[in-house]
Amino acid sequence: MYDIRFTVNGQPEHATVPATMTLLDLLRDRLALTGTKEGCGIGECGACTVLLDGKPITSCLMLAVEADGHDIETIEGEAVGGGLSVLQQAFIDTGAIQCGFCTPGMIMSARGLLNRTPDPSDENIVEAIAGNLCRCTGYEAIIAAVRLAADRLAGAKQGRGQS
Amino acid sequence: MLGNFEYKRIRSIEEGCQYLAEAAGDGAVLAGGTDLLVEIRNGLKSPQLLVDCKGLDVLNVFSVDDSRSTIGASVALNQLIEHRVFRTTHPALADALASIGTYQLRNRATLVGNICNASPAADAAPVLLVLDAVVEVAGVEGPRTVPVRSFFAGVKKTTLKPDEIVTAIALPARSGLRTAFRKQQRIRGHDLAVVNAAGAYSPAKKVLKLAIGSCAPTPVLLDPIEVDSKDNEAFADHVIETVLRAVSPISDVRASAGYRNAVLPILVKRILHELLFEGSGA
Ligand SMILES: Cc1cc2nc3c(=O)[nH]c(=O)nc-3n(C[C@H](O)[C@H](O)[C@H](O)COP(=O)(O)OP(=O)(O)OC[C@H]3O[C@@H](n4cnc5c(N)ncnc54)[C@H](O)[C@@H]3O)c2cc1C
Ligand code: FES
Ligand code: FES
Repeated sequence: MYDIRFTVNGQPEHATVPATMTLLDLLRDRLALTGTKEGCGIGECGACTVLLDGKPITSCLMLAVEADGHDIETIEGEAVGGGLSVLQQAFIDTGAIQCGFCTPGMIMSARGLLNRTPDPSDENIVEAIAGNLCRCTGYEAIIAAVRLAADRLAGAKQGRGQS
Repeated sequence: MLGNFEYKRIRSIEEGCQYLAEAAGDGAVLAGGTDLLVEIRNGLKSPQLLVDCKGLDVLNVFSVDDSRSTIGASVALNQLIEHRVFRTTHPALADALASIGTYQLRNRATLVGNICNASPAADAAPVLLVLDAVVEVAGVEGPRTVPVRSFFAGVKKTTLKPDEIVTAIALPARSGLRTAFRKQQRIRGHDLAVVNAAGAYSPAKKVLKLAIGSCAPTPVLLDPIEVDSKDNEAFADHVIETVLRAVSPISDVRASAGYRNAVLPILVKRILHELLFEGSGA
């Protein structure tokens, strides 16, 4: 067993885990953060995407012990203070959610993109979510959602700048 | 839960080599884990010990310039791809790395893991072969270097000893080389290459190097080809003939041998166009 310390959505956490546990299992089964989904378990679908030190990774391909000393962000960290995040609202407004299974992973990939590229081109968006499979929407609405969120965030920033 | 193994985060390379020596073949280095953890999950590998080197700062650095570049074993692919000087100094290698998997995967996967995994389809391999890259290795008996052309021993096999850890990959001076990478795959981000290929052309020496992946048990580096022909078409035919003689593609889940034999000449032609016939190129 291994003692690890890390943060999840800014909260310090401590856990004792076996070497063979994935970060995904730690989040879902130990911390009851079931927003992060398991699709394939082998890095292909992106449903398990979380941010590791601000960067999207697939949590099924990382051991829980490897999270020691790192910052993890999950979909549960998106809605702050009970309100939806700009990204979440944009996904609703463009109809980018059908069954919703891919959505947490999509939003985390989009969050990672907006962290590094606040004004992404459609090509940037497609590249960022290429590792997230969606079997329902056909992707167009998802790309529109990320665009809309980027525009709204830029607008908010500009608004703040002017006032 | 994945398999049944112990995990060690090492504090020095020597310590890592010692653990691997004690594990006597039942140990594995854990880099990004994007190959290793999938193979453990699928039951293809069952190491008893995973040695994680990512805590060592010395392996987490890279330096790039025209005279020599060194890439540490823990450097993630996106660190290289997103580095402007790396991209302009080694454009074909950057293209190959950017073609690997998905954005999430490239935040974890490493260049060293890509070649240590020794898949015949490893996308970095053909480029490293034409660039004459050198693999820097540490072991209980001390450090050594292995030219990448002597590194691959078969499907998923390298010439590393069980106690050895690759510490870095070194790329020699570029000395005016033009390089190119091409890859044929079924689905971007979710599948390996059906065929991949890289070329490096030295206009000064008029010599072309080509390497092919996914068409033999290991990536194949061809003998250097002299470029003296005035007739592009005849030269391309000659090169393609040489390439097809050097490889032995099989039929597998991704493609038939026939398809590989049909695609390969097209990729080679594209590389020749980029490196030789169009004049410019990177
Ligand atoms: C969905 C998906 C898509 C993929 N797409 C591609 C693709 O398009 N192209 C491609 O080439 N590959 C692809 N891969 C394979 C893999 O992601 C790459 O080969 C990657 O570069 C492996 O690096 P890693 O750091 O994750 O290696 P790991 O999985 O950590 O290690 C791989 C192997 O190398 C050994 N190893 C690692 N580091 C060292 C070291 N320092 N010293 C000695 N041995 C070491 C490990 O023990 C293991 O056997 C894909 C994988 C997945 C899951
Ligand atoms: S569950 Fe991790 S990528 Fe599919
Ligand atoms: S909304 Fe159903 S998988 Fe994307």
